[in-house]
Amino acid sequence: MPALVLIPVLLGLPQLVHGGGWELIGQFALAAAQPSLDPAVIQSVISGLGTTAAMALLGWAGSMVLGVGLGVASSRTVWRTVLGHGAPADLIRKLLAIPRSIHELLWGLLLLQLVGLEPVVAVVAIAIPFGALVARVVSDLIDALPTGNLNALSAAGAPAGPALVTALGPPLLPQLLSYSSYRLECALRSATLLGVFGLGGLGTELRLTLQSLNFRELWSGLWVLLAAMVLLETLLGWLRHRWSMPNRFTKKVMASGRQGQELVALGVALIPLLVWVAQSQQIDPGALLHWQALPPMGPPHWAELAGLNWPSLVGNTIVLTGLAAALAVGGAPLLLLLVAAWPLGKLVVRGIWLLARLWPPPLTALLLLFVLKPGVPTAALALGFHNLGILGRLLLECAETADRAPEQALISGGTGPRMALLYGRFSALARPYLAYGAYRADVILRESVVVGLVGATGLGSQLLEALSSFAWDQLLALVAVYAALTLLGEDLSDRARHQLLETAHGDDQSQEVGGAWR
Amino acid sequence: MIRQTLEADSAGSPSHPSPALLELQGIDLAGKGQRRLEAIKLNIQPGERVALIGASGAGKSSLLAVANGLIKPNAGTVLWQGSPPAKSRRQRRRQQARIGTLWQDLRLIEELTVQQNLNGARLAQWGWPKALLNLLLPLETGPCAAALERLDLDQALLDRPVGSLSGGQRQRVAIARLLRQEPLLVLADEPLASLDPRLAEELLALLLDYTRAPRALVMSLHRPDLLGGFDRVVGLRAGRVLFDQPVDQLGQDQLTALYASSL
Repeated sequence: MPALVLIPVLLGLPQLVHGGGWELIGQFALAAAQPSLDPAVIQSVISGLGTTAAMALLGWAGSMVLGVGLGVASSRTVWRTVLGHGAPADLIRKLLAIPRSIHELLWGLLLLQLVGLEPVVAVVAIAIPFGALVARVVSDLIDALPTGNLNALSAAGAPAGPALVTALGPPLLPQLLSYSSYRLECALRSATLLGVFGLGGLGTELRLTLQSLNFRELWSGLWVLLAAMVLLETLLGWLRHRWSMPNRFTKKVMASGRQGQELVALGVALIPLLVWVAQSQQIDPGALLHWQALPPMGPPHWAELAGLNWPSLVGNTIVLTGLAAALAVGGAPLLLLLVAAWPLGKLVVRGIWLLARLWPPPLTALLLLFVLKPGVPTAALALGFHNLGILGRLLLECAETADRAPEQALISGGTGPRMALLYGRFSALARPYLAYGAYRADVILRESVVVGLVGATGLGSQLLEALSSFAWDQLLALVAVYAALTLLGEDLSDRARHQLLETAHGDDQSQEVGGAWR
Repeated sequence: MIRQTLEADSAGSPSHPSPALLELQGIDLAGKGQRRLEAIKLNIQPGERVALIGASGAGKSSLLAVANGLIKPNAGTVLWQGSPPAKSRRQRRRQQARIGTLWQDLRLIEELTVQQNLNGARLAQWGWPKALLNLLLPLETGPCAAALERLDLDQALLDRPVGSLSGGQRQRVAIARLLRQEPLLVLADEPLASLDPRLAEELLALLLDYTRAPRALVMSLHRPDLLGGFDRVVGLRAGRVLFDQPVDQLGQDQLTALYASSL
């Protein structure tokens, strides 16, 4: 059903095309096969990747420490056990909604204005919103755990702290590990994105080579990024498999103490690694304290502020979100259905999705500008394409673990492979997938700022404009409106998700998709 | 065979003439619509083994939850060894450590090994460092193995995750955890319900033997045929105590009245 959105987009496309750029697109596509192998290029790409990976790793580590700490602090179960009352948790939760509602790009650009171009900016920009998001997920995970064991230990006289750790730690751990590894992938994507906006690393290289039309060098960077992403996803997939055991009753289980030991060893090993990475990138937290002299702020221009076309800004943002979400949510199953008959096609789709995931949306938008006019649909295409890659991977993972029996029954009854996939497997996945789509729409709303640079896309582009023209009054008002909109969107998507999942059969799959996979 | 020669070991009997291990006075507990418990009065002396019987929904589980401090009653007093639940957290924990509960749903931590679960009963005595170490290393293997042996379980189970055990094994691990806690007052919520008859009788015998003075036992039961080893029987009906008397004076008419459908 959401795939119906393709029709108006396809119909509208001819009016957007401005011609002229097709040659460039062709060059871009051709360059994929012959990336530049110039040692100087390769070296700068590798060092760029190093910077990006370092920003991602440090930002991720910071967000996990922040997130787990704050997550425990905003869990009702924890407060109820320690104090006998859950109210402080709600307060902390509400406070955390504010840093969460602002995209890491905005944090990055704001900090960039405040402290200048320091390597630490990207790290903090990732750590703050990610930390707040992890905190929410962790507290949700903790509060969803059954408290019977906890009560049993408390009733036997165990102090609150050790009782919480012993009763809730072991069931929480696999979920937390799975989620944190997913977060690391997100951090790498975000670090690349921040680079596109000038915070250094591979993203900056990608944007510069794209803007100077050096497609062969661009592809060198892209292939390296692709390789790094595949490596990371494979490694994390293997670790998830080893530790997070969602199907733990079917396999021989490691003794829990052993798993704990491995984790502690890994955690200890991570500390010197993080320190080394921080030093090699000359990341200096002290830099955060040295604020730049800001340009004089002047009195706020209320008239100008009120003069902004707010309804249109907000409206465009919502339209952009809706279009991109529909493209991504509808596109993924449609593509899978189209290629269901050919194994090779599936491989191609998988490759395209991988590319979509790691390819920052603003770069797609820039690329699209070669042939399309700036505006909401162009931005929506770019954003939708990126999220299509993320949703597609999830759908594929779920589809592969789903029960194949109904599909096989259909095929043996003479149904075509596409129909069989649609009726046999997708029908069971529809609800959890749509529930995740609802969550994704909420992410897209937050992300809509990153395609702001193609212009006229609502709040996002206005924000970037306000940032670059130092219009602080505008900036604050815009961030506030944006945050409010995001919180509203989050609430709506939460409701939609709960509704979808409640009516679904309460199987593990739907919980996995709806809960842990944020 | 389960060893029947258990002695009430170092449970730290109070020096002064012992007050009742558990005393409930005028307990009221509100529920949805009707009250779950009403005007409950109960007194458990050291050495007493009391069976709690009644139809499903009569309030047996609620009564045990009030007795172990999990639920605070709407009215009435709970006294453990003559003292009300302490305000100070440390005192309260010390009180709780003397009450061992055998939960109907066992409440073992599935992800942890048998040994880690058994050690969970010692958290009241252990501080943070030992509690954390327990999640990483096998601690106090000797006492844990001894607890398993009393229940006729193989020591090799110690490093198996609880999630991989059979129903009967899990039940016995839960009892072994209770023994590890060394409580004075044992509260058991239908611990025999899902066991085969032979195992049920063995475990009942073990619990009855373990709870000689200075300990005491309150066990809720579904089966009147297992009342033999108990000293007293308390009949609960619709949240009220219908009778509270020595087991040998229990008549068939009382049982009939207890289980008769209301109205």
